[in-house]
Amino acid sequence: MDSRPDANTTAPPLPPALFDARCRACWMVAGLVLLTIASFWSLDLDFAALFSADSRQSMLRFVSEFFPPDFSAPFMKKVAIGTLETLAMSLLGTVIAAVWGLLLALPAARTHAGDAALARTPTRLVLNALRSIPELVWAALLLISAGLGPFAGTLALAFHTTGVLGRLFAEAIENADPAPAFALRAQGVGPVRVFLYTTLPQILPQVMSYSLYRWENNIRAAAVLGVVGAGGLGQLLAFHMGLFHMGKTATILMAMIALVALVDIASYLARRWMTR
Amino acid sequence: MQPAIRVTELLKSFGPSRALDRVTLEIMPGEMVALIGASGSGKSTLLRHLAGLVLADRDSRSEIEVNGQLVQKSGRLAANIREVRESIGFVFQQFNLVGRLPVITNVMAGMLTRVPLWRSLTRWFHASEYSQGLEALARVGMAERAAQRASTLSGGQQQRAAIARTLVQRAKVVLADEPIASLDPESSRRVMDILSTINREDHCTVVVSLHQVNVAIKYCPRTIALRRGQVVFDGPSERLTPAMLRELYGAEADEILDLPDHISLLQDRRDNVAPLPSIQAAQAG
Repeated sequence: MDSRPDANTTAPPLPPALFDARCRACWMVAGLVLLTIASFWSLDLDFAALFSADSRQSMLRFVSEFFPPDFSAPFMKKVAIGTLETLAMSLLGTVIAAVWGLLLALPAARTHAGDAALARTPTRLVLNALRSIPELVWAALLLISAGLGPFAGTLALAFHTTGVLGRLFAEAIENADPAPAFALRAQGVGPVRVFLYTTLPQILPQVMSYSLYRWENNIRAAAVLGVVGAGGLGQLLAFHMGLFHMGKTATILMAMIALVALVDIASYLARRWMTR
Repeated sequence: MQPAIRVTELLKSFGPSRALDRVTLEIMPGEMVALIGASGSGKSTLLRHLAGLVLADRDSRSEIEVNGQLVQKSGRLAANIREVRESIGFVFQQFNLVGRLPVITNVMAGMLTRVPLWRSLTRWFHASEYSQGLEALARVGMAERAAQRASTLSGGQQQRAAIARTLVQRAKVVLADEPIASLDPESSRRVMDILSTINREDHCTVVVSLHQVNVAIKYCPRTIALRRGQVVFDGPSERLTPAMLRELYGAEADEILDLPDHISLLQDRRDNVAPLPSIQAAQAG
């Protein structure tokens, strides 16, 4: 008792140290270290083989096969069409997802304290399901019902992205300042107009920013989706790579990189312009 | 004449504590009434009940009518509550405007219930409707700010825009919940002047909750004083002497009286009302 400072002289309590005796951070870090060790052990990686002279030579041969890339006019035309198809898939998929995401975000959000929000949990489950199935799996599933081609790819992107955007939009709605909405409800305005005049204007920058960001993600996904047969550059890539047309593969890869970079820049500029 | 506001046996509990304890009162059309009381005395809760934003206890005989229409009875909202609310304007301490929208759009939101749904969805207002909005802004001295975003305005300007919204709404009853509690003295004076003007010129019934007794005496002929959810005084404001307040509130009177009376500190033309002597002087004596 004596060694402890008197109650009157102690400073106000400080927040606990990050690494104290029963801190969660320590267990978290220890767990991550263990998991990392376990993954190396279980995967049986052979880094020595990767850097041997033998494998260096075969890598060099593999890379050199990409040159020269095929820039012939008829093939360039095919690549151009594939590029446009991929771009259209990503754009359309994102727009559909943004619209559905916003529509589903409304029942998935508790808009005010008195809101019973009965549909909140079921809608969130639907959004979770849409989100937890990756685009590639959606595409594989939809190919069966919608057939080969960009339609299945577009739908696959739209489904997965609806799950992502719906969840993000619902969070944005719940985090928006409820006071202006309260003011309009107090004067007898109905829920649709309360949303359009108070909540939507508040969340619009986030809605646009999240949608553009997902478009960046979707252009990358759209390029890959073709591999399972959902059209665009990916399908072209899978076809020529399968036949070991390495020159053509190189051209397609270059088109993909250029497209993704362009969309990234466009989306970044648009977001910066909007939030300024 | 039928009262603008009629409250009967209003009972509201939050858990074991009584927020409003059998409040009964009548306010006639065209009155300007101050609602005073310490923090937590039930001022806000009462105002929110009047607009049906909070429900009274279920098993009580609580009944509220505004403009002769039922708002709530025994903790149940009237079926046509949205229609009833159209004639009730509400002014908030924190203004409750949408910062990202222009001032004029915030003001036009006041007439949403009169505009057809399809037009309001696209924010399509007729020129005559816009001129109503601009006229309301001109009356609160804010016409030149119409196109500005609400977030760029000062607190006092936002509060005036919020009052313009209730003007556009053509509210017959204006409920103001601590409208000047977060404003500087000059802005407070302008906001109270405007509330007083719409009471005189538009014959609106105004109920304003205030922290400062002196402001109540200056602007409102009648004051209703709450203490722990009960009406402890309801009568002419000039009868509220420091002695009376000490009798009503005991030690709590300090909270109401010690606050600087920041409106009468300004040398304004209404200064013919004698300021209250300081409570410290009474204590010292």
